Amino acid sequence: MPSATPCPPDVLAGIADLELAARIVVEGLVSGLHRSPFHGYSAEFSQYRRYRPGDDLKYVDWKLLARTDRVYTKQFRETTNLAASIVIDTSASMEFPAASEVTKFRYAVIVAAALAYVIAEQGDAAGLVARDVLLPPRSGRQHLRRLLASIGSLRSGGVWPGVETVRRAADRLGRRGLLIIISDFYDDEEPMASELHRAQRMGHDVVQFQVLTRDEITLPYTREIEFADLESGVRLPVNAALARRDYRDAIAEFLERTRARALAEGRQHTLVVTDTAPERALRSFLLARRA
Amino acid sequence: MVWLHPVALLALVAVAAPILIHILAQRRAEVVPFPTLRFLRPMALVSLRRHLLEDPLLLAVRIAIVVAAVAAMAGPLIVTRARREAWNRRIVRATVTMAAPGVSRAGSRDRDSAFQAREFRGASLADGIRRAVEWLDMAPPAQRELVIAAPLTIGSLSAADIAEVPRDVGVRFERVGALAGERSVAYGSVRAADGIVDREVTIAGARTLVRDRPATAPATAADPALPIEVVATPSARPLVDAAISAVLRERVWAPPRAHGAELVLLSTDYAPPRVTAPAARLEPWMADAIARLTRDNALNQASAQASSGVDVSRFSQPPWFTVARSRDNRVLVAAAASGDRLVVVTGAPPSDVVLPILVRGIVNAIAVVPDIVPLEIVPIPGAQLTAWSRPAIPPEQPRADSVESDDRRWLWIAAIALLVAESWLRRSRRRDASAAHAEEAARVA
Repeated sequence: MPSATPCPPDVLAGIADLELAARIVVEGLVSGLHRSPFHGYSAEFSQYRRYRPGDDLKYVDWKLLARTDRVYTKQFRETTNLAASIVIDTSASMEFPAASEVTKFRYAVIVAAALAYVIAEQGDAAGLVARDVLLPPRSGRQHLRRLLASIGSLRSGGVWPGVETVRRAADRLGRRGLLIIISDFYDDEEPMASELHRAQRMGHDVVQFQVLTRDEITLPYTREIEFADLESGVRLPVNAALARRDYRDAIAEFLERTRARALAEGRQHTLVVTDTAPERALRSFLLARRA
Repeated sequence: MVWLHPVALLALVAVAAPILIHILAQRRAEVVPFPTLRFLRPMALVSLRRHLLEDPLLLAVRIAIVVAAVAAMAGPLIVTRARREAWNRRIVRATVTMAAPGVSRAGSRDRDSAFQAREFRGASLADGIRRAVEWLDMAPPAQRELVIAAPLTIGSLSAADIAEVPRDVGVRFERVGALAGERSVAYGSVRAADGIVDREVTIAGARTLVRDRPATAPATAADPALPIEVVATPSARPLVDAAISAVLRERVWAPPRAHGAELVLLSTDYAPPRVTAPAARLEPWMADAIARLTRDNALNQASAQASSGVDVSRFSQPPWFTVARSRDNRVLVAAAASGDRLVVVTGAPPSDVVLPILVRGIVNAIAVVPDIVPLEIVPIPGAQLTAWSRPAIPPEQPRADSVESDDRRWLWIAAIALLVAESWLRRSRRRDASAAHAEEAARVA
């Protein structure tokens, strides 16, 4: 039974039972998403897609090639056995705002749990890759509970080896699968983008969830602030009122650069702000995926 | 400009509050954990703290609010020429009258023309003047005038009373009411054969009536017939008693209990020992009594006709005072102090008429006789009143607590207007900030 209004992030963050929180989020999604939005390579034809190097040649539509001289690959709606691996950024930078209950990390955990719930409910396989956790994609109710327990036990802190984690997740995913990365993507841009592109070349469908807070985007402080880097501890004295415009320009440029590159390379990119209800963020993501 | 409450200006130190708050708020930079510093550029905050005022206009308005409020509390008074002329035009008048039927409406005709007027009525003009001066001292800025409306008889007013009036207060006299037809006053006590009686004197024009009434406190058995101890030989005692009896029949002033005297009648075979040790220190009342005895005409005339009697020449040296001399110019009566009493010695024979006259003179001399001159009903001369009169002087500097209105209302209005301006500035700043924030958020989105 879908709920009438989305559950606020702070309420969701306060729910200790992650499965319950995930179910609330999923039940809050609007109806119309009965069919899987995750496209696999199984029986039911879904759509054509331009051929990309690495695609299985057996799915190339030769008749269409003969008629149009263009190489298209047939996509099928996967009803079973979609393998999805969820990667969660556990760096200290995700533990922001420190005084708030809805940190970026908590928000990421809820989104990850909801995605796992959706995938598992459709009979697909979901796994988890974090700093010290590696849970291969499997389906089934029991695995979902183990998966949610693993997601719930994650703790953020320190530096996150994002590139290595993504590589490990892509390698362990085996066959073509769905790779979901939930992060603020503050890591080194170029190595991360290269790693994501490599995963794509391996045939994985890569989805980026970039989680940020509103304060990171707008820098609402007015006085002199000594900003302390959550990961390195380095301090930087700044007059926020004076620095705001440059900061906003810089982060807007960063966000646009990340989004543009993801789209150019065929990755789905979704920017979610933690003051948005997770249902809304997931709904827009799933609707965009169905389109 | 005059500050009516200048102590309030000390509150100007409050002006430093918004500045200090601003500086202190800038001095301590808040530490905020932040996900990444890659989009921030370092700044030299020290120089910023020193030179940067985030909103100098708002700070100036807030300081102006504090200054205006403090200045208003200090009670500013701008003494303009027009205001001073207005003060000089008005008169504050205090009228002093006496509680007598003939002067009940005195000064009322001046009340309408005065800015403020008040009448002070009392038993004496001196008391009325004192109260009037206190009231004038608290009066608002104006020409101050004291009107003394009374019959103005001698004794009702003195130069000392006028000296109590401040120099800038004008003094004017109005002789109102008729002089009293007669005046009856208590006039001491008299000792008679049957005790002490109170004497009352009625002055009616040129006539003076003396009336004796039974004493309010009759003499007791402990009271001696006369406060004089007479020392004499037993043979002279009957003559002494006869003399005292004659004096009491004639009535004499009743001396106070503290004034005592000793009369020693010297004889050739009798020399009382106490006379030989007179005190060197003379009390004022004793000196007064010796002087009165010396001026007693009856005693002097009787002594001048008496024979010398016993030689008392040894009492002619200090501390003895010669009071009267005999026909042959020898000392007949001498007086001196002996402890707390006056000692009078005489060599006159007890049978001489000098004895009763001396007894009467001693009693009257040690008594306190009231002065009847101030009781006479005589008006103060017009020349004296003119000399005491003077015009009011315009006030130079108003007293802080007597000004009825000042200019603080303008400063309060200014403070309120500044508060409104400050509120408007704050809201406009907030509006600008929210608009910029929304614009930035939209741009970022």
